[in-house]
Amino acid sequence: MSTFLFAVVSGILFGVFFSLMAIGLNFAFGVMKIVNLAHGDFVMLGAFGAYYALTVFGVNPFATMLLEIAVFLVVGVGLYYGIIPRLLRSDDPEMLSLILFFGISQVIEALATLAFGTNPVTLPTNALGQLSVQLFGQAFGSSWVIGFLVSVVAIGLLYLYLYKTKMGIATRAVMANRNEAAASGINVNRISAVAFGIALALAAVAGVLTPFMLGGIYPSVGVNLTITSFSIIVIGSLGNPVGTVVGGLVYGLSLLLMQTYLSSWANMVPYVLLILILLIKPSGLLGKGARNA
Amino acid sequence: MADSDQQGQFHQEVSLLDVSGIETGYDDLQILWNVGINVRRGERVIVLGANGAGKTTLLKALVGLLPAWKGAIHLNGEAVQGMRIDRRISRGVSYLSEVGVVAGLTIEENLRIGGYHLASGAVRSQMAVMYDFFPDLRARRREAAASLSGGQRKMLAVAKALMSRPQLVIMDEPSAGLSPLFVSEVISMVNRFHGEGISFLVAEQNVKFLEIADRVYVLDAGRMIFSGTVEELHKNDALERAYFGVYG
Repeated sequence: MSTFLFAVVSGILFGVFFSLMAIGLNFAFGVMKIVNLAHGDFVMLGAFGAYYALTVFGVNPFATMLLEIAVFLVVGVGLYYGIIPRLLRSDDPEMLSLILFFGISQVIEALATLAFGTNPVTLPTNALGQLSVQLFGQAFGSSWVIGFLVSVVAIGLLYLYLYKTKMGIATRAVMANRNEAAASGINVNRISAVAFGIALALAAVAGVLTPFMLGGIYPSVGVNLTITSFSIIVIGSLGNPVGTVVGGLVYGLSLLLMQTYLSSWANMVPYVLLILILLIKPSGLLGKGARNA
Repeated sequence: MADSDQQGQFHQEVSLLDVSGIETGYDDLQILWNVGINVRRGERVIVLGANGAGKTTLLKALVGLLPAWKGAIHLNGEAVQGMRIDRRISRGVSYLSEVGVVAGLTIEENLRIGGYHLASGAVRSQMAVMYDFFPDLRARRREAAASLSGGQRKMLAVAKALMSRPQLVIMDEPSAGLSPLFVSEVISMVNRFHGEGISFLVAEQNVKFLEIADRVYVLDAGRMIFSGTVEELHKNDALERAYFGVYG
């Protein structure tokens, strides 16, 4: 029983972290209807940023996180204005975005391989701080608990932005109906650019946590992280950030239960869940109706 | 020549919206040919036309949702044809599309985005004004716009369009999907806010809107085929038959 409870609590801790990892991808899709296949590569860059900041300069991961949020936000806004309006003017922006961001993903991975090599690198789990928690007689490590708490804060801040600020409400209007938002006088391009910047900033936060939550990082891990993120948002509801949290929890719980009881099959979890959801409920667990939430 | 220049200058000074020679369409498909329209301060102008005449396309070109291939659009004498839509809206124009509201947002959020260009204090005071005009909306302000009936949505759409304190409200088929009772209500709303000094440009196929028209344009197959008063429209036999034949 204690093993089961450990798997469930761990699944929730990891599930919320996975939600954070995927939420930027879903947020960008919700606002722009484009699929950023390089999302996992930005998470990977965030992770290497944390690694080098700590091991070379001795910078605390939380300080790195704040710096990366600013840098990724600016990069995201620049990247948006550089490429996305062109995509959105095309007849099939979703398909073109898949191809273009696949290319960007490959370029980032190649450059990262040149810069960082192919060997996995790790960070000491206590670098995030000491905050061990006892639940059901089981101890949960500081990196998991802090990773969970940071994820909750980041997702909570995104929620507050979307529901409590003028720009956030405008962002939800763009997500719900781009033309109607524009007709209301909202500068759709500016809102989208900021949204893309926020999506990358969320990837950066997840990236800093990645070495502590998932272990070794290496340039090609970005592809795996993109696939995991994509599975999570399809499980929840494509285009709905709230759905990502549901998707992340389902994924986290499934993964941890599989790792506990059938560990050799655990790597199949994202693919199996993806196939099952697409076959049974293609609009995701929260359904199409939730996309405008 | 000097007189003509002076007349043109005077014409622009009194015009809120002055459109000439507009041509546009979708991809390679041209919808509008050499369309001109003029709305003066305090006027209620109706653009009458059947389905597919190009009314929505014209309004989209006026507010900037669709680029004009040719022609000129002046708002308060300022050329705006190359201007972004949000900048046109911030210059005193409000557009009420056929959809009119963002269904996924609450009623209050719809009003907030209607007043997107206003300062937060002005949004609050204008929202209070709208809730006074439409008390039903106040009672349901936290509910999603999707939960409203067709008539209530139109009410919200009008309130949203008026949130920005516009000089000119451009309405696309406000009667679409409404029962005759609600159509009358929308017409009385237009009258009510016209009394507050707001000008209206309404694209419609419902001739009931002619009751409140100061001037009428008739758009047919992408070309403006008539411009004048309602009385002049009634004197045109072909148009009289086309638009009022069912009553004759």
